[in-house]
Amino acid sequence: MTTSVKVDPFTLEIVKDSLLAAGDEMFVALARTSMSPIIYEVLDYASGLTDAQGNLLTQGNGVTGFIGMLTFMVKETLKKYPGDKLKPGDVIIINDPYNGGGSHLSDVGLVMPIYYEGELIAFSANKAHWTEVGGKDPGSFTNDAVDIFQEGLQFNCIKLYDEDRLNEGIVEIIRSNVRFPDLSLGDMWAQVAALRTGDRRLKELCDKHGKETILAAVNYLLDHGETISRQEIKKLPKGVFEAEDYIDTDGIGNGPFKIKVKVTITDDEFICDFRGSHPQVPGPMNCSYTGLMSAVRVIFLAMTNPEQDVNDGVFRPLKVIVDKKSIMSAERPVPVSNYFETLLGSLDLVWKALAPHLPNRLTAGHHLSVCSVTLSGNHQDTEEPFLIVEPSVGGWGGAMGQDGASGQFCVADGETYNVPIEVAETRYGVLLDEYSLRQDGNGAGAGEYIGGKGVIRAYRALSDGQSATVTYGRNKFYPWGMNKGHEGSPNEFYIHKANGEVDGPYGVYPRYKLQKNDVVRLMTGTGGGYGSPLKRSAAQVAKDVKNGYFTIEEAKEHFLVEVNPETFDYIELSGRLS
Amino acid sequence: MRVATDIGGTFTDLVYVDKNGSIGIAKSNTTPPNFEKGVLDVIENAGVKREQLSMFIHGTTVIINALTERKGAKTGLITTKGFRDILEIARGNRPDLFNVRYKKPEPFVERHLRLEVDERLNYKGEILSPLRRKDIEECVKHFRKEGVEAIAISYMHSYVNSSHEVETVKIIKELWPEVLVTASSDITKEWREYERTNTAVLNAYVQPVATTYIDKLDKELREHIDGNQRYIMQSNGGTTKFDNAKKAPINMVESGPVAGIFGAAVLGELIGERNIIAFDIGGTTAKCSLIENGEVKVSTDYYIERDSRNAGYPIKAPVVDIVEIGNGGGSIAWIDNAGSLKVGPQSSGARPGPVAYGLGGTEPTTTDANLLTGRLSPKNFDYDVNMDNVKEAIQQKVGDHFGISAEEAALGIIRIANSNMLNALKLISIRKGHNPQDFTLLAFGGGGSMHAPALAIELGVKKVVVPIASPVFSAWGMLMTDLRHDYIQTYIKRLNELSLSEIDVQWEEIEKQALAHYEDEGMAAENVEFHRFADMRYLGQEHTVKVPVPNGQWSGEDKQAIIKEFHNLHERNFTFKLEDSPTEIVNIHVTAFGKVPKPEIGKITRNGSVDEAKKENRNIYYEKKGWINTPVYDRDKLPPNEVIHGPAVVEEKAAVTLIYDGQQLQLDDFGNIIIEMEEK
Repeated sequence: MTTSVKVDPFTLEIVKDSLLAAGDEMFVALARTSMSPIIYEVLDYASGLTDAQGNLLTQGNGVTGFIGMLTFMVKETLKKYPGDKLKPGDVIIINDPYNGGGSHLSDVGLVMPIYYEGELIAFSANKAHWTEVGGKDPGSFTNDAVDIFQEGLQFNCIKLYDEDRLNEGIVEIIRSNVRFPDLSLGDMWAQVAALRTGDRRLKELCDKHGKETILAAVNYLLDHGETISRQEIKKLPKGVFEAEDYIDTDGIGNGPFKIKVKVTITDDEFICDFRGSHPQVPGPMNCSYTGLMSAVRVIFLAMTNPEQDVNDGVFRPLKVIVDKKSIMSAERPVPVSNYFETLLGSLDLVWKALAPHLPNRLTAGHHLSVCSVTLSGNHQDTEEPFLIVEPSVGGWGGAMGQDGASGQFCVADGETYNVPIEVAETRYGVLLDEYSLRQDGNGAGAGEYIGGKGVIRAYRALSDGQSATVTYGRNKFYPWGMNKGHEGSPNEFYIHKANGEVDGPYGVYPRYKLQKNDVVRLMTGTGGGYGSPLKRSAAQVAKDVKNGYFTIEEAKEHFLVEVNPETFDYIELSGRLS
Repeated sequence: MRVATDIGGTFTDLVYVDKNGSIGIAKSNTTPPNFEKGVLDVIENAGVKREQLSMFIHGTTVIINALTERKGAKTGLITTKGFRDILEIARGNRPDLFNVRYKKPEPFVERHLRLEVDERLNYKGEILSPLRRKDIEECVKHFRKEGVEAIAISYMHSYVNSSHEVETVKIIKELWPEVLVTASSDITKEWREYERTNTAVLNAYVQPVATTYIDKLDKELREHIDGNQRYIMQSNGGTTKFDNAKKAPINMVESGPVAGIFGAAVLGELIGERNIIAFDIGGTTAKCSLIENGEVKVSTDYYIERDSRNAGYPIKAPVVDIVEIGNGGGSIAWIDNAGSLKVGPQSSGARPGPVAYGLGGTEPTTTDANLLTGRLSPKNFDYDVNMDNVKEAIQQKVGDHFGISAEEAALGIIRIANSNMLNALKLISIRKGHNPQDFTLLAFGGGGSMHAPALAIELGVKKVVVPIASPVFSAWGMLMTDLRHDYIQTYIKRLNELSLSEIDVQWEEIEKQALAHYEDEGMAAENVEFHRFADMRYLGQEHTVKVPVPNGQWSGEDKQAIIKEFHNLHERNFTFKLEDSPTEIVNIHVTAFGKVPKPEIGKITRNGSVDEAKKENRNIYYEKKGWINTPVYDRDKLPPNEVIHGPAVVEEKAAVTLIYDGQQLQLDDFGNIIIEMEEK
């Protein structure tokens, strides 16, 4: 791409950095002004700038799953409001999962066109998970909806502000249709404030450097991203790589569903062909096409250059092919609340197909699921209603040269924080019995480099009538091992009732009723191992036993190392590999 | 004579003030791992006799070094049953979003040294399960067998009720008097179990090292300086006595760097500037911090080894808010894969250093760019500078790539370095809702004065000050410090439900504790000064705002005024306020200063003229203007209150100030350089 103005390379670089800094600032502004833990603790949102055509320039992410979704929101806006139908001071609200959004109704997007001297030069956009958008269940995203209408309010790319005038009607509709209107509207105002930060910073940059310089820097930035991306593709193995796997369930009793990919890498293209995967399903595990695009983008970045600044230039070499109305390209009106489980499944397919060929970049399989938990009820002291909505940490896969990380959020999350127990116990009607690393006892995740450990988090209800909705994927099909490493363990949960009964294990369960002193014991999976366990250094195995990561029996059976339970001295048994 | 010594990565600095208010400085090599040797060397280098010492203030990197080099003690941890893995699970976050081979920070205590005991409190501090002595005995037995050297204790909700932790310390001390023990509630009384546990663990981990170090230093100094006059700099910008430093060494984690920030506030007070952006450029990094209305901002949101790729380790100790970026004089300029120029964060360090040093450095640095464009002169270096090598390095590594001259390339390096620093300065000012026009940029460290005038124009501050002793300003700051202790207590209370008598008791208890603490340190109550703050938020929100609140008993009007102030500060920080929303206190925070008499700073008396201070004219290369013959002055000869118009250069030992066309400069009565925009 050529630019009409000649700008010196250092000015371009400085303006480019200023654009990235503006993106960061918008991102931070939203977290700091939000009122919802799902935004400020889980950072379940994204914000950024695009050019006037909707090409992403910079995106601040707390989670990976939103990557690239802003672009589709802006493109939908341009489609619906062509030419002068879009005006300075407009703010568009959009959460349509099938067009221009890509996730579920809970993720509400706002888009603001930025004008300078009367010309549309860019867009400021963000997308954030609202704690509530109405629908049939508290927290809105549910694991047994049968259509989109049960999943909450739909904003189909409409004007929240029309030339700076707020549409009070939309605000009233939100207020009367969601369960915690202060939280949802509070987040909406935070989003508006963050958009305006982007608008202000871009105008300041135009004032300082001139509009033409800014537009030149925009092109420079996109080209820079593409250049790096193409260099990285050249380093990838060339050929055709395939993988298959399954999505456990659709949440309402159907499944498992087969999914598959064929990845073709040439010198300048990266093509993911998901044709032949299962058609869309009745329950809410469907993912839309734009969600699938995000999935592919995440793993593409992981394989090429995870460190670079992300913009649409980077993704120019990517192509995605998929059947219409498949489980990963669903169309209205099938439910999509738990789209992220299929987004993750699709992402993991590409990962699994390429892992053997890119051991320096990829690991064995991880717990893969957001492992979302919704717990509601009344606080035992204040009697105020509470609502916990949180993802869970689990084990990551071992890799060439390193053990897997224990207790981390899945790849679709990212700069996501668990809720401190002391904060949870103060705010919610629960007591935590345990937050610990899981000991599988069956050699799960064993390897030369072991899978990271899953985690046990046990919530004890402190009042009657609480309700737990748990959505754990990878319950039937375990995290995969690599290069003779063992597979990991499933995500699952049990209910330990006050009367001593134990119920479970389950993967997906809507609205499990809890009485006082019932305990939900949530267990996430251990990641897959890398390499044969018989190659793991015996001294390290003895240390693993001493630290309680593996039992004496596991050491003997899976690693062929006999460890003394008192002294932790060890003997190597015959059959070990070096 | 009052003496301050500051251990840095390369040099140990010293500043003293004698009876007449005259200042002297000295530098000596830092001497790891026996840092106390460097301290004694620099005292000797300064020509100070040990018997002349009347007060000694010390900043040290011993703590941060022990942490980053993993040279602390073998540490054991005792937790509440069910929670020994909190230290390893941490928060589960992955800042390096797209890196699936992300490496999680490894805990400082191995799993088999993390033991659990069956005790439990609820969020109100009520005991659900009592502590049993037998369990502690078991722990001690295990730790002894494993050769543990220090023990940390962290129980659930100990910030509300510390009795189980206190009891545990008591039992351990009875069973094993020699071992060092840290209870989490002794270091921090804030909620969030991972952060508090990690803080306790890191304190325990460095405690043996800190104790040995302080004892050695103490032994050398004891015979000359009265015990009440030996101080160590803490991360909160105040000092503490040697004995106290040994109990909570983690409070010294940023011992050195914060002194410069604190010094900026003190100097500001002296010259009537209460709103300051303090800006320190060293060899490897640039640091900045915002001082508003004379108040240095202190928070407990501190991490080590944290950046945009790594989660790092939280330390809930009060630390001056500093933003640090990898851009200093030694930062290397390089071309990335896609052909863009970058500067830093890699630094050439002290060795081999910039190309200019001639010690084998081949990568061009910011210092080399400043040299090639005439901003620095070969005469400013202690080395024999080969200009041809400098020019060639810049030409080959940067100029040729863009097809431009070495001078243009050098200017590009300076512009990119300035852009990086500008982003850091904006981060602490504009992004936090401050208008730079209300602030003075106070620049120090070896490179501060070189870059600050250019940054001032971009940022739009009203004034730049290059203070006296600017290259060793951190040590100067130490001479000006008071004793300081911060007490922060998580205390969750909605304002509309707050009983005034109840919170009065809370404040009084903390202040009583502070007075007792100072009494132990030999500080009279009349010299103790309290500042109170409440960390407040809107109900349901997470982020808090630190609100200054009145001392003494609160009235209903006080409460209303506090709420109003919170709304205002919230709007400043976050662009909006919610006047109808209920407000909540999360932490109450008391800063207790123990006031120490300060040396008087003398005014300079010089009669020479500006012309007499002129050293030479030098060609300097400017953006858009090319080479301009620019006058160079000697700072030590410049008379006060005489205006010099830019462009001009002022040189002093170890620092150079460059002002631009449209700027003017003069020395004030104390010898500080004051730079302002010329009146149009």
